[in-house]
Amino acid sequence: MHDTTWFEINGKPSVFIASTEFTDAAEAQAVALGFPEVRRIFVPHPIQDATDDEMRAKADAIVDLVIEALVD
Amino acid sequence: MTTILDPTDERVPVRRSLTARPESVTGVVGLLNISKPRGDILIGQLEARLRERLPAVEFRNYAKPTFTKPAPLDLRQRIAEECGFVIEALAD
Amino acid sequence: MPLPSFSLATADGSLHHFPTGRHALLCFVKEDCPTCVLSMPLIQAAAEAFGESIDIWCIGQDAEGNARLAATFALAAPMLDDSSLHVSYRYDLDTVPTIILADAIGDELDRFIGFGRSDWQALFQRLITVTLSPAPVIDWSRYPESRPGCGSKSVEPGIAERLEAEMEGSPIRARRIDVGESDDIFEFMFEQGLTDGLPVVPPTPERVVRMLTGTKRDPQEVVGIVPPNLAPVTVEKIAINAVMAGCKPEYLPVVLAAIEAITTEQFNMHGVLATTLFPTPVIIVNGPIRDRIGMNYRMNVLGQGNRANATIGRAVQLVVRNVGGGRPGEVDRAALGQPGKYTFCFPEFEERSNWESLHVERGFERTDSTVTVYAGGAPNGIIDQLSRGAESLATSYGLALATSGHPKQYGHGEIVVVIPPEHVDTFAKDGWTKDQVRARIQEVTARPARELIRDEFCAEGITLQQAERIGLDTLVPKFRDPKNITFVVAGGEAGKFAAYLGGWVSGPMGSQMTTVKIRE
Repeated sequence: MHDTTWFEINGKPSVFIASTEFTDAAEAQAVALGFPEVRRIFVPHPIQDATDDEMRAKADAIVDLVIEALVD
Repeated sequence: MTTILDPTDERVPVRRSLTARPESVTGVVGLLNISKPRGDILIGQLEARLRERLPAVEFRNYAKPTFTKPAPLDLRQRIAEECGFVIEALAD
Repeated sequence: MPLPSFSLATADGSLHHFPTGRHALLCFVKEDCPTCVLSMPLIQAAAEAFGESIDIWCIGQDAEGNARLAATFALAAPMLDDSSLHVSYRYDLDTVPTIILADAIGDELDRFIGFGRSDWQALFQRLITVTLSPAPVIDWSRYPESRPGCGSKSVEPGIAERLEAEMEGSPIRARRIDVGESDDIFEFMFEQGLTDGLPVVPPTPERVVRMLTGTKRDPQEVVGIVPPNLAPVTVEKIAINAVMAGCKPEYLPVVLAAIEAITTEQFNMHGVLATTLFPTPVIIVNGPIRDRIGMNYRMNVLGQGNRANATIGRAVQLVVRNVGGGRPGEVDRAALGQPGKYTFCFPEFEERSNWESLHVERGFERTDSTVTVYAGGAPNGIIDQLSRGAESLATSYGLALATSGHPKQYGHGEIVVVIPPEHVDTFAKDGWTKDQVRARIQEVTARPARELIRDEFCAEGITLQQAERIGLDTLVPKFRDPKNITFVVAGGEAGKFAAYLGGWVSGPMGSQMTTVKIRE
C-alpha cells in the first residue's frame, strides 16, 4: 500500500489488491498513510493453497472493480 | 518529488486525497506484482481479462524484489514515467 | 563474509556476544507473527537437543512480546532483546522468522525464512552432524508443509527510515512527508493546516539538518511539553518549525530558549492560548546574542523588516500551532486576537539605557543572553513630546496606563512599557530610577475606591460592597504591585513615543513573566 499511495501522490490513479485476510490491516495502513480513501479491492482468502483455477476465478470476479477503481 | 519533515507531534497522519481520475482508462497501465507466491496467476488472468475489456490500452508488467518492503524508488519512478495507471497485487 | 557481530541482552540483562566461538543458531522472531509462534516449539526442541554444544538464541523484536513468547514456551534458549531493531536492520531482515546458522567465527552456513518443514528437517540433520547429538523426537506430522513469514518489524513503515537515519548518524527522526511533483508545495502546506496563514519555507531534511547546526544540543532532547496537546517537543521539531518560519540557524538557540520559557508552569501557555482576551507570548531578548544574530532594537523595533525579530517570534507561534495543536477557533479562543500572534519578538536597546537591562534586573549577568516571555497585548502608544522632566513624563505614563484595559478596572497585574531613547534621556536628566517611575505611576493612577464603583454612567467597575470593604476614600493604585511594571528600552533615536503592552491575568492564576538563559 506504500507503493499505491506513492503513485497517488505522484498523480497516477492506482488500486491495491489484497486477500480478505488483509482487510483490517489495509484499513489501518490506509489511515496511517493519510489516504483513507485509497482504492483497494479484496479477493477471498485463502491464496497460498488455492488451485490455479480458483486463483483465476478470483481474478475474473474483480475485473469490473479494478476498472472502476482507476476512473472517476 | 519534494520531501518535507512533519512539523507536528505526528499524532494525526497528514491527510491526502486521491489523485484525480479520468473518465476512462487509456494509455499504459502498469501491473505491479509484489512478488508473493501465487500472485502471478491472479495478475496474469486479470491482465488477460482487462485486455479483452480495454483493447486500446497497453499493459506492462513489473515486479517488486520483495513483498516485504516498498518498491525501490528507481522502480517506482520507472513505473511512474512509463504508466498512467498502476494496479498492485497481490497481498495476502 | 562473516555476519555482522553484535551484543544483545536478555530481559534480565545478561549480555550475549556474536560470534560465539562455536556454532550458533540465530532465530529472529516477533510475538505477533503466527509463523513465529508455529516455529517456537522447534526452536525449543533444538535448544534442548543441541544447546550443550552450540548456541541457540531467539532474537525477539518487541520487549513485551519477547517476555510472553519466552513464558508461553518455557523457552530453554535465551531470548535476546532486539526491540531497538538495530541487529534486525543490520542483518537486512525482511521477514520473521528468519533462521540463520553460523559457524564459530560468524560465517553464515544456512538461512531460511518463514516456515518450511523440509527446511527445519534439513537443519536438524545438519545440527545432528555438527553436534553428534542424538536426534530429538519430533512429530513432524503436526507441522504444515510451509507457511509464509511475517514482515520484520525493522521494515515497518516509518521504522525503516528511523533505523536508516540512526545507522547513518542522521539527526532526523521526524516523519517524512512526500509531496508529489504535481502538487504545489506551498499550497500543500496551507492545505495541511501547517501555516499561520502566510507562506512557510518548506522544511526539507537538508534545511532542517542545516538549522540544527545552530545548536550544540542533541536533536532528540525534549525541550518542553507544549500545550494544548501537551506534546513533548524536541530540538528537531523546533528546528523544523524554525525553518518554516524563515529562521537562520544562528537564531535557533533563541527559539529553543523561548520554547523553554513558554512551556514553564508559571508562564502557563495553555491559559495564554485559550483565553478570549488578547495575550500572546511577547519575546524580549537581552544580552550579546542580539548583535551576534543581527536583531533590531532601534527604529521600528516593534514593526516589520528585521529577519531575526520577525522569524524568531513566528517560529515560537508555529511550534505552538503545529506541535501543541494550538489553533485559532479551536483551543485558541481569542475574540479578536492581535497582529502579535503572527510574531512578537524584540531585543532591548541595552546600550542606550542608563538603567539595568531587563535580564540583569531579573538576576542574570550582563554577559548572559536571555529571553524573557511575557503574556502581552498589542502595543498602545503613549505620546509625550513636551515633558522636560522625569516627573512630568512619569505622570504621562501613569495617565495613559490608568486606561489600560478599562479606566475603571484596577488591581492589574503585569504590564510592559517600551521606553524610547528620547524618554530615557528625559528620565536620565533628572537621575530617576526605574522604581521612581513605578512609584509615580502608582501615585498618578491612584483613585478613591468610590470612583471605581459600577454606576449608571458606566456599568464596569467594582461593586459598592467591594468599595466599602476597601474604604470608599481609600486610594487604589492601578497595579497590584509596582514590581509588576516592567520597563524595556528600545526604539529609534527620534520620537518621544513610548508604548505599553497590556497584560493578561497575572500571578499564579494566570501567567507570570519568565526569563530563561539562552544556551548555544
